Amino acid sequence: MILEIMEWVGYTILAYFVLMQLYMVYLAVRSALVLRRSHHLDRFGRVGEMLSSHRVPPVSIVIAAYNEEKGIVEAVRSMAIVGYPRLEIVVTNDGSTDDTLRRLIEAFDMEKVRIPYRPDLKTEPIRAIYRTHSPIRITVIDKENGGRADALNAGINAARYPYALCTDADVVLDAYCLIRSMRHVVEDRERTVCVGGNVRPLNGCSLELGHLVKATVPKRMIPRMQVLEYLRSFVTSRPAWSAMGALPIVSGAFGVWKRSAVIAIGGFEVGHLGEDMDLTMRMHRYHLAKGIPYRIVYEPAAVIWTEVPETTRVLRRQRIRWQRGLIRSVRDFRPMTFNPRYRALGMVTWPGMVLFEYLAPIVEFSGWIIVPTVLFMGAINIPMMFALLGLAYGAGVANSLLAILLDESFGFYHSPKDIARLVVMALVENLGFRQRTVVWRMRAFFGGNATRIWGNMERRGVGNLGVEHS
Amino acid sequence: MNSFHIAIAAVTVMFAVSLMLLLAVVVFKWANGRRLEARENRRAAYLKLLSQHVAAPGSIAEISVKEADDAAFIDALIDIRHALSGSPADSLDGVIDRVGLISHQAKRLSSRFPLGRRLRAVVSLAEIGDPKAAPILMHHLTDRVPEIRVQSARGLARMRHTPAIDVILDRFHDETPWVQSRFAETLALYGRDAVWPLTAWVRVNHNYRRDKGVTEIIRILGIIGDSEVGPGLAELLYTAEDPEVRIAIIETLGIIGGPLALRPLRRMIQSADWRIRAKAATAFSRIGDSSINPILREGLDDQSWWMRRNSAAALASLPGGIDFLYEAIGAAEQFTRDAAAEALADCGELIAARDRLESGESDPRDAQLISYMHIPEPVTS
Repeated sequence: MILEIMEWVGYTILAYFVLMQLYMVYLAVRSALVLRRSHHLDRFGRVGEMLSSHRVPPVSIVIAAYNEEKGIVEAVRSMAIVGYPRLEIVVTNDGSTDDTLRRLIEAFDMEKVRIPYRPDLKTEPIRAIYRTHSPIRITVIDKENGGRADALNAGINAARYPYALCTDADVVLDAYCLIRSMRHVVEDRERTVCVGGNVRPLNGCSLELGHLVKATVPKRMIPRMQVLEYLRSFVTSRPAWSAMGALPIVSGAFGVWKRSAVIAIGGFEVGHLGEDMDLTMRMHRYHLAKGIPYRIVYEPAAVIWTEVPETTRVLRRQRIRWQRGLIRSVRDFRPMTFNPRYRALGMVTWPGMVLFEYLAPIVEFSGWIIVPTVLFMGAINIPMMFALLGLAYGAGVANSLLAILLDESFGFYHSPKDIARLVVMALVENLGFRQRTVVWRMRAFFGGNATRIWGNMERRGVGNLGVEHS
Repeated sequence: MNSFHIAIAAVTVMFAVSLMLLLAVVVFKWANGRRLEARENRRAAYLKLLSQHVAAPGSIAEISVKEADDAAFIDALIDIRHALSGSPADSLDGVIDRVGLISHQAKRLSSRFPLGRRLRAVVSLAEIGDPKAAPILMHHLTDRVPEIRVQSARGLARMRHTPAIDVILDRFHDETPWVQSRFAETLALYGRDAVWPLTAWVRVNHNYRRDKGVTEIIRILGIIGDSEVGPGLAELLYTAEDPEVRIAIIETLGIIGGPLALRPLRRMIQSADWRIRAKAATAFSRIGDSSINPILREGLDDQSWWMRRNSAAALASLPGGIDFLYEAIGAAEQFTRDAAAEALADCGELIAARDRLESGESDPRDAQLISYMHIPEPVTS
């Protein structure tokens, strides 16, 4: 009897992985259709003409910064030269203990001023406000430390425009990413409450004057693995979710939010380790519960480049933090799971997140224990087990290859070296690399102080990422 | 066939798919890279050839009919045409005729697929802006693909083909918001030719349609900027029921200006809707009517923060408004003081006050502004 149960548990675990990979392949196929239209629009739609139009609403770029002295000046410069008719930059220095504030003041010749600050969202106390008198208005809010969410809330309070691009200090914006994402707002200003962008690893790429001039797949395995992960997430999943009108997460690195909508739901949740997912889900819940028409969309052509962890230690901390954010979100939004009231979000994408993101490390970790046990006890058909394992592996590789193929519509990574690096990564990722992240994500289910709200990522600064460590 | 055989079959299929994808990735990425590089090289060569032709129109012989199908040639032609005006640009018409570009692209556009080629064809026709393409573009204003409708409208607007205005307006309410907004942009390209059709359309539709089409067209009238529409829009401000329509009219009146706009705007600045009040404040600043200053000063104490901020910005740009802003620095509420101080700084008054202080010509209010800006009170939630 026990053997039979064990056998079925073993088969269930293997079937789970097959199902997960097939779900991913389904998303990839659906995303391919979305990307095709996006590619045509980007190539032939002449969206850039809106740059000279008075009809695009002004945007405040809100940057949350904590101990970013190495890259903050370059990041702000890159944002100041982004192609958009009307914008301001608001940097929130969240009680940095390094020279972040001093570097900003010196680089942009800032002075302490008063601005009409509206505390629509509660935050830690503001120490001072600085502003430059350059043609593009740059404001720095210096405040007590309160975490990323608190910093973004303070930036949103200070923002004077109706839309706020919430981002980080370790990113480089593509020249036209803002106009491409604001296309959705021009298209439907009443309903569009958020537009998410396509985030990619910056490590190993070449930068000149705050702009990316050559995208390269990093030589190091850790950032290279993340290139593949980002491709799968931003190229093969999010376009499909967006097409269903059920995007469960807008990346914290690039999200253009309608300011009034963010204030209506109380802003970013302070202390939440997955504040981007939490805000997106609360935005869905608020509008669906009140019956207010709305749109949360993803724009694949709006590309932003971000610094990703280069060491195992930092990557481990990041993954534990992300998984803890997800764990809390799953708890907070439990009533939305398989709830038809929340349409595709409640019936497809959020259950997908719960089943294939939240539960994945638990199931996989259980599999490592149960499958060898039943194998040892002779309760499982060995060829059948290898067949299912092979199916899961093949589907995983197929999903990654599909992501690389779909990425071609963006025109990055052309050289034979880059292609070879990505293909090799797709083949070997499931042979140890992914398993390591499973261990870290399992760690997230247990308490401890392994993570902090700001993540303590060791920055090299966006200007220094082109040169890779040997 | 038992479950094991089914699983083995599934594995085989999955590995075959993976292998095919692997091959596709390698071949497609390599081939696409080569294709893009070759196209750039051809484009550079065409640019050189077309430049030589513009300089010496006799050198056309090297351009043959087959170029009408080459994306690199079309890109080069569009680039050169955009860079030129007058007779040098006209000299390219001979090249367009010789290679049969219009008829070739029209044929492409009329085919049912592939979509990419159809889009390229319509963009080529729109960018080249040759009047011979007008009938085909008119036909495709009702195409099943939204982006082809948009680009057809754009091409017709670039060639100022005025019969298209009524067709576009007739279709307006049946379009998606995206196509509506792109259609509206193209109508702005007609300039004054579009003013009366657009005004008449707004008059007919402003109280019967609740989509954003009406507001789009009103804003386009503002972009065209013809002062003759001012009286008509001012009249609509009294009759329009939708606040969004009123806001769009106020914005447009702010751009167009004129004495007839002042009276309805004065009424709007006392509206119960804060959005309308705030927009009216901004409109006054654009028109430059300083008689509104006392009302804007009251706006600095308005219950809406946006109204206060817009009033401060408006006062900073109106003659005599700065005096009201200095007075507001002594206001009871911090937001009002800060809004006034920010407006004074933005209009250069803070720098001017510093200069006066340094040169010994300052008055007490200079010192008041400087000290206010430099001893910020802590801001708490």
